[in-house]
Amino acid sequence: MAEVTLKGVGKRFGATDAVKDVNLTVADREFAVFVGPSGCGKSTLLRLIAGLEEASTGELLFDGQRVDHLAPARRGIAMVFQSYALYPHMTVYDNMAFGLRRTGLDRQGVEKRVKAAADTLQIAHLLDRKPKALSGGQRQRVAIGRAIVREPRVFLFDEPLSNLDAALRVQMRVEIKRLHAALGTTMVYVTHDQVEAMTLADRMVVLNDGAVEQVGAPLDLYHRPRNRFVAGFIGSPRMNFLDVTAGGDGTVALAGGGWLPVPAAERAAGGQPLALGIRPEHVVLGGSDLEGRAVLVERLGGGTLVHLELADGATLTAATDGASPVRGGEPLGVGLPPPSCHLFDGAGLALEAPP
Amino acid sequence: MRRTAARLGLWLLVAAIVVFAVFPFYYAVVTSLKTGSGLFRVDYWPIDATLANYLAVFREQPFGRNILNSMGVAALTVAVSLALALAAAYACARVAFRGRGLLLMSILSVSMFPQVAVLSGMFELIRGLGLYNSLPGLALSYMIFTLPFTVWVLTTFMRELPKELEEAAIVDGAGPWTVVTRVFLPLLAPALAATGLLAFIAAWNEFLFALTFTLSNEQRTVPVAIALMSGASRHELPWGNIMAASVIVTVPLIALVLVFQRRIVAGLAAGAVKG
Amino acid sequence: MWSSEPPAAASPLTRARVRAAWAFVTPMLAVLALVAGWPLLRTVWLGFTDAELAGMGDATWVGLDNYRILVGDGTWWRAVGNTVWFTVVSVALETVLGLAIALVLAAPFPGRGLARAAVLVPWAIPTIVSAKMWGWMLHDQFGLINDALLGLGLIAEPVAWTADPDLALWAVIAVDVWKTTPFMALLLLAALQMRPRECYEAARVDGIHPVVVFFRVTLPLIRPALVVAVVFRALDALRVFDLIYVLTSNSEATMSMSVYARQQLIDFQDAGVGSAAATLLFLVVAVFTVITIMAGRLDITEGAR
Repeated sequence: MAEVTLKGVGKRFGATDAVKDVNLTVADREFAVFVGPSGCGKSTLLRLIAGLEEASTGELLFDGQRVDHLAPARRGIAMVFQSYALYPHMTVYDNMAFGLRRTGLDRQGVEKRVKAAADTLQIAHLLDRKPKALSGGQRQRVAIGRAIVREPRVFLFDEPLSNLDAALRVQMRVEIKRLHAALGTTMVYVTHDQVEAMTLADRMVVLNDGAVEQVGAPLDLYHRPRNRFVAGFIGSPRMNFLDVTAGGDGTVALAGGGWLPVPAAERAAGGQPLALGIRPEHVVLGGSDLEGRAVLVERLGGGTLVHLELADGATLTAATDGASPVRGGEPLGVGLPPPSCHLFDGAGLALEAPP
Repeated sequence: MRRTAARLGLWLLVAAIVVFAVFPFYYAVVTSLKTGSGLFRVDYWPIDATLANYLAVFREQPFGRNILNSMGVAALTVAVSLALALAAAYACARVAFRGRGLLLMSILSVSMFPQVAVLSGMFELIRGLGLYNSLPGLALSYMIFTLPFTVWVLTTFMRELPKELEEAAIVDGAGPWTVVTRVFLPLLAPALAATGLLAFIAAWNEFLFALTFTLSNEQRTVPVAIALMSGASRHELPWGNIMAASVIVTVPLIALVLVFQRRIVAGLAAGAVKG
Repeated sequence: MWSSEPPAAASPLTRARVRAAWAFVTPMLAVLALVAGWPLLRTVWLGFTDAELAGMGDATWVGLDNYRILVGDGTWWRAVGNTVWFTVVSVALETVLGLAIALVLAAPFPGRGLARAAVLVPWAIPTIVSAKMWGWMLHDQFGLINDALLGLGLIAEPVAWTADPDLALWAVIAVDVWKTTPFMALLLLAALQMRPRECYEAARVDGIHPVVVFFRVTLPLIRPALVVAVVFRALDALRVFDLIYVLTSNSEATMSMSVYARQQLIDFQDAGVGSAAATLLFLVVAVFTVITIMAGRLDITEGAR
């Protein structure tokens, strides 16, 4: 169990900065998820913590102790890889015991720990099999088992569920969460899937282009994104963005000519161009703030997505209930409830509503 | 109708290719089963077949010894080159070190050396080491063509192994040696078999060094023994014996080729170095 | 491929890894230096001396004398001509025939695996053995070839294939083509099988004539493999020794550069001239290699990361 601290960590590959000046602390026992689009540096950051890559700049500390110069095996970490990376020529038992034997643990000790981990993961009956005789979900469990037996201070997961089909992914997600509750070990988890991130994380670290965009609890990020990137990245379907102009008096001017009172608009000078963000699930159909026309209606059963074209040509997506009677081509009024509206300045930073 | 004609044409072509490839060896077998005046008559299938030539080969010269020599030299060559090449291939395929490109280029350029270009220097080296007319001397000299080839092919195969596997082993506390011996070696077994087989065939077939660095009949390898087989007089070559000996040394190779056809082609394609 | 070199200020962990890499490479490099580097340097040096095979230690420097001897030796020039002619003709024939065989074997038919294995037979047979086998088949009195050609009425009297100076080199080329074409065919076959099928389906949909498809689609697709195969075959052919030595012994009509060098070195015990000849052969091969690489046709470091 350990607190993981990164101080000014950066990593260059040739001429490109894969990771830029990351300062971050993952608390002891916390489940932290690194999330971001592909190429954002999240995997590199995880590999830096593992010791599979070495930082070009900065410091890495576990419980306040520098670990930068320790080999991966001596950092007290365990890692679950995207491809599982099980040794194909070894049985499940040997896969789990391989690292333990290298620590000098005696035979009974190895056996005890492997058996215990196998029981926890319900793979005790598979111990004699080779990886190729296992299903995807079973391989995933073995990969996790191989990490558990090491009794690490920090668990590292590198997109461990992306090779599984959708149903299994949900099931394994629940199991990993349960495992975290049972073991109480610090876990760092990398994914590009924001649903996975939202459901698993105690704290989410949103990365973009090698830098940390925002750190916080999943719902904090959902409700109070610090900038336009986080606002757009978290939540599905994506947040709508509309061009507006600040009125200087706590209102914004919509493209359609209407005025909308938004609390955060008080922070902007009159005439300043802003982006108004609103999530599809907060858009109210049948309101009167904007006029538009439904161009496409997607019925998902539990919900309905209505894609609208507004009078000025901008598009807007609204999520409504499954029984919505809206039909394609129909003219619609749209309501934007002010408390659900976010405002972003020209640099993409969110304007905070006054308390 | 046109389809049938095309089928027929294809079959004829295939038959022609197979006959072209196999007939000379078949004719050697036919010849090896004939003795005396039968040798001087052209037959397309065995008539009055006898194994006399096969017995004569072993009786009239130390051919059994020659076979053991060839096996010993080839086995030693394969074992040493695979061991050296496996370690080197790990470094070349898996570690980005300065000079790696240059290293691979030099290894490849050695495989282009004409054997004759090192003949005098090698002759001196082998004599200097006291290995003239000895099997270890031959095995040592064979490294010049087996090493570049095995390093190159194993590097190619080693590069294909997933990176995450090695990283998992590193997290598990395995050093480079353990990674090679405990993780990669078992996975490379098929590649090692193919590479080893090719190196074995190359060493088994080698002629120039074997001819030059051995002196006595007892130290000769099979190709040299066959090349130097002579009869009662200089102009009367014992064709029956020569063909019998040729069949004896070729049958195991053909068996290996038939069994490992796929792997050999894969290995050759990966190396595309030593014909 | 050099893009992933470690940065200048490599950290201790990277350094340890690089150290391990060198430790792994060193034994192989040491052996290679011993059996390739050192003998090559010695050969080059001996080429400038009057060394005799029996006592190479007390050789004295004679400058370019050995090279002057070579330049004035008609046999040497004959050997150079033979080698070049042999290389050009045999590689050309092997390429054309090999491609034809590969195209046939690429077609699906039952027993294809067996046909491919049969094609590997000539490659697996030791060169010495194939030389002897063909020597017997080409025998002037009892040979099958003469018998068959006489029977078909193609020749009036038996031909001394390996002894007649006008025919001997052709006999050598024929045997080499037999032995090496199948290997060429299998390399090209491997390339043929990696072709994307969509290209051919597209060509068929567009109604392109098969001959056009061969020259405009197939050849460009397998060109990299073809170039590699031709280059390696040519390098191999330039150093030909076994086949010629056994099929026609030291006959001047077929003598290659390798045979010439060995004859000087071992049979005449003249390590000086022999080494000079060997050095020239090495230079020819080296220049050929460098030209190929410079021409950029052969990316030998391809995929080396």
